[in-house]
Amino acid sequence: MARHEQIKDEGLRALMDEAHRQLRQGKATDAVHTLSDAFVSMLRDHPELVHTATVVRGRKMPLVARWPAYGANLVVDPGGRDEPRIEYIRDRFATSEALTYYEFTVDTALSQGL
Amino acid sequence: MKFGLFYELQLPKPAEGESWDPDAERRIYHEMLEQVELADRLGFDYVFEVEHHFLEEYSHSSSPELVMAALSQRTRNIRLGHGIVLTPPGYNHPARVAERIAALDILSNGRVEFGSGESSSDMELGGFGVDRGLKKAMWEEATREICHMMTQEPYEGFGGEFFSMPSRNVVPKPVQRPHPPLWVAASRRETTMVAARLGMASLGFGFETPEELGERAEEYWRLVREECFPIGRAINPGLAVLTTFMCAETDEEAVRRSAGGPGFFAYSLGYYYNPATGGRHDPGRTNLYRQFRDLPREGQDGRSSLWAAGLLGESPPTEDEPEDEVQRALFRAARRGPAIGTADTIRRNIKRYEDNHLDVLVLVAQCGDRRHEHIMEAIERFGTEVMPEYKERHETEHRPWREKRLAEVDCPVNSSI
Repeated sequence: MARHEQIKDEGLRALMDEAHRQLRQGKATDAVHTLSDAFVSMLRDHPELVHTATVVRGRKMPLVARWPAYGANLVVDPGGRDEPRIEYIRDRFATSEALTYYEFTVDTALSQGL
Repeated sequence: MKFGLFYELQLPKPAEGESWDPDAERRIYHEMLEQVELADRLGFDYVFEVEHHFLEEYSHSSSPELVMAALSQRTRNIRLGHGIVLTPPGYNHPARVAERIAALDILSNGRVEFGSGESSSDMELGGFGVDRGLKKAMWEEATREICHMMTQEPYEGFGGEFFSMPSRNVVPKPVQRPHPPLWVAASRRETTMVAARLGMASLGFGFETPEELGERAEEYWRLVREECFPIGRAINPGLAVLTTFMCAETDEEAVRRSAGGPGFFAYSLGYYYNPATGGRHDPGRTNLYRQFRDLPREGQDGRSSLWAAGLLGESPPTEDEPEDEVQRALFRAARRGPAIGTADTIRRNIKRYEDNHLDVLVLVAQCGDRRHEHIMEAIERFGTEVMPEYKERHETEHRPWREKRLAEVDCPVNSSI
């Protein structure tokens, strides 16, 4: 069973399912867009995640700062006035990048019990 | 479970001096050749050598293809692994990688392991003008095309995002067909799973407990079976982890000989890989080893050194391991790891990795200021007192375990594991 199938949130699971399908079809760029939608929807539905802390290379930083930096850039307003969004600075993404976005999004969803 | 040695060619500066003695680099290169010759005679399965640039003291291994060419003539059986070669074209043109891999495979009579990676330090990325945000895509594009170059006759040519070239027959071709086994550097869980999906073995720091490794191996193999889209023409499923290593007559002697090796390894790696410190490195002037030695003694086990280097957040070090998986790996590497102790101690400790289906345990002996004669003795002890039973069980137990899983895999397999 693919790991995203363990996600409890139906809407989120559906998006991850779509991304997984796109990955299997070799549509890496489409998958990155879908995964970006999935992660942003996670943040919108659970705004506390914006302030959830994690440790990267020994430095404490918000979970959202771990979103992979491959050109689908997450824009977050810590004050919460603006909704989280993605700014794309690249037109195309590689399979390995899309897979990394997928793994990160699944890991985050499952670790947060979503 | 199989075993390998791993080389950064670490060369700390003298704590009391400004630079190395003029013979130091020549010495560590030739000591490595001697160590690997011994390992080969004893039946070690792999030697992996890194490619790093400008990371003075941490790694002086910038031309691994040359060192392994020398090893190809001084060894008979040990597999010669790039751990890894940097494939973003700014470091190495893909055609040159394909050519060198094939030539080494010929010289070694088919013993090359093609490990690839994208690099991570500001010193290297900045030194070669490689865009950090694009390096993963560069790695993937180049590695895929390198595999095509090694198999197509002629290579069809390519118009890619990061490099282009017309059709050419890239020669020579490697001995191993379709190409040498593929590996990728992968320390984070995410990257290990990407490796599975691309049909590559994963080579990374031992960041998990043996039990966590077991869970990871289960997911890794599921992905190989169900979701593999190979980057090459054959897959090489496998998991290898690195751990620091010193074997001596007593546990106390092993710890003493291990000395600051793992601590300096963790400290210098953390230094270069943290943009806050590595990005401000003063080439030719900084003395990393003196900085490390100036840490409080209790800090030299790695935990405090990471903290002192600003890598353990804002709190003083505690007994808790870092939460971040890579830092946890460094933390554990800096503490006494499973492969430091007597032969008996090591045998007991690493059994748990075997039980959880680790394919290859890669031993980091040459690190920090460890002495060549201690490393040689450690290799000898481990090779004669610990390794044989594991190699036997690899054939009688682990290989059938792997074959059962590989029977469910559709793709061609080329693996030395």
